[in-house]
Amino acid sequence: MKNKKRSYLDSVHLYGSIWCIAALFVMLLVPTLMCLHLGVWPDGSVVAKAFFSIAILFYPTAVVEVVAYGPLLGAGGTYLSFLTGNIANLKLPCALNSMENAKVRANSEEGEIISTISIATSAIVTTVIIAVFVMIFAFNPSFTSLMQSETLAPAFKQVTYTIFGALAATYFAKHWKISILPIAAVSLILVFAGSMQIGVLLVIGVVVSLLGAHLMYKLKWV
Amino acid sequence: MFQDFKSDGFMFCIAIGVLLFVVAQSVFFLLRAIKRGKQIGITGDQIKGTIASSALFSIAPAISIAVTVLVLSVALGYVLPWIRLSVIGAIQYEVPAAEAAIEAAGLSGGIGVDVSDPKVFTAVAWVMSLGCILPLILIPLFLKKIQGKISGTMNKNTKWADLMSAAAFIGIIAAFLGRGIAGTGEQTVLESGEKINAVIGDGAGVLSLTAIVCSIVFMLLLVFINKKLQWKWLESFAMPLAMILSMVVIVLLNTYAPSLAAIEWRY
Repeated sequence: MKNKKRSYLDSVHLYGSIWCIAALFVMLLVPTLMCLHLGVWPDGSVVAKAFFSIAILFYPTAVVEVVAYGPLLGAGGTYLSFLTGNIANLKLPCALNSMENAKVRANSEEGEIISTISIATSAIVTTVIIAVFVMIFAFNPSFTSLMQSETLAPAFKQVTYTIFGALAATYFAKHWKISILPIAAVSLILVFAGSMQIGVLLVIGVVVSLLGAHLMYKLKWV
Repeated sequence: MFQDFKSDGFMFCIAIGVLLFVVAQSVFFLLRAIKRGKQIGITGDQIKGTIASSALFSIAPAISIAVTVLVLSVALGYVLPWIRLSVIGAIQYEVPAAEAAIEAAGLSGGIGVDVSDPKVFTAVAWVMSLGCILPLILIPLFLKKIQGKISGTMNKNTKWADLMSAAAFIGIIAAFLGRGIAGTGEQTVLESGEKINAVIGDGAGVLSLTAIVCSIVFMLLLVFINKKLQWKWLESFAMPLAMILSMVVIVLLNTYAPSLAAIEWRY
């Protein structure tokens, strides 16, 4: 049984790495094909200037995301999430909800399987829905106006809050003692730096939460 | 419609190719996980329940992502934002990446301006693509080692392991909820120096707080109903239902009390 588990996990890492390299190739192929099709290449200094300004922000966050999400998502879930994107606002909550429903632990093989099934399903459904909506936007301007209307547009900005509110109900009820510190810390920081990027906030939230939980665990408060 | 170089037939073909790649890798991992799940005793009902609840869970966020494509389409057409938000990308990264590239090219107005110069457009495409590829390099190099070390720690002390997983996720929840409670949105600075709300609904205010409170209340209510009535099906669908019901409340609030809904204390 143990050998089978190892071989499944090893194969996930092997195929995951192959898909990552293929995705890297695809990611670089897309702008290359656009340049060839349009017959123009961008100004290198413009690309470098913009790239460095966002890399300073995104790249450290990417390192933290790999370390923070990996243990929660499992191997297959991590490869698939990082390949398909929208992790914090969709794939991670979706996988955790599925593991909670199936009553499996994040770091068990059962958790690994449920997480992968959940994220793969989410990725397919999301890809199809976005494609359908883009086609409707492109062919039906009146629908586009409806989606951008004053009634619907502000509502769609709240989807992330509905996801994390529903998850908070589950997690905070079970772990209310370790929840107070990270919420207080993040809210306090936002009072003074309200426009702080979500990537930086995620790092602060996770680090504060882990430190607080570790301290409470050592003090036997939890 | 395809006369615009940003959304012509060739561009759509690139997008379809990328989408097929995304779906292919998802199907690949899905089939392997289902096969392995059956081998280790995960029931067909558990698999079906996971697929159904994950599909329902993804609908509202997917529409929200599609709306972001629409927002970015003003500057970049449909295809580039569509590709970027379907593979690796995320809402919180693609908009700043596009804005940084547009500004570096000397255009003011950010993503609200129509990028009509193909040279600027290709610069944006490169910046958006390069800005998100680091995980594709890090994961094959380090994921196995990271998970190996963490599994070792977890197996030694399962109580701390469970607490650590919960604490990491609570940190993520805190970051997002914190933004809904005290995060600022986009502002416009008038000539007088006064700052006004540029986009309704993007800063902490009545709508964000309603979303948070409603989803918590609906979730607790659905969990309570599930416990009382023992409706097995509700267990899998409680979270997507709580999200959808909260969205309905937000749309109703925004429709029937727009002046109340527009209140933002951190615009």
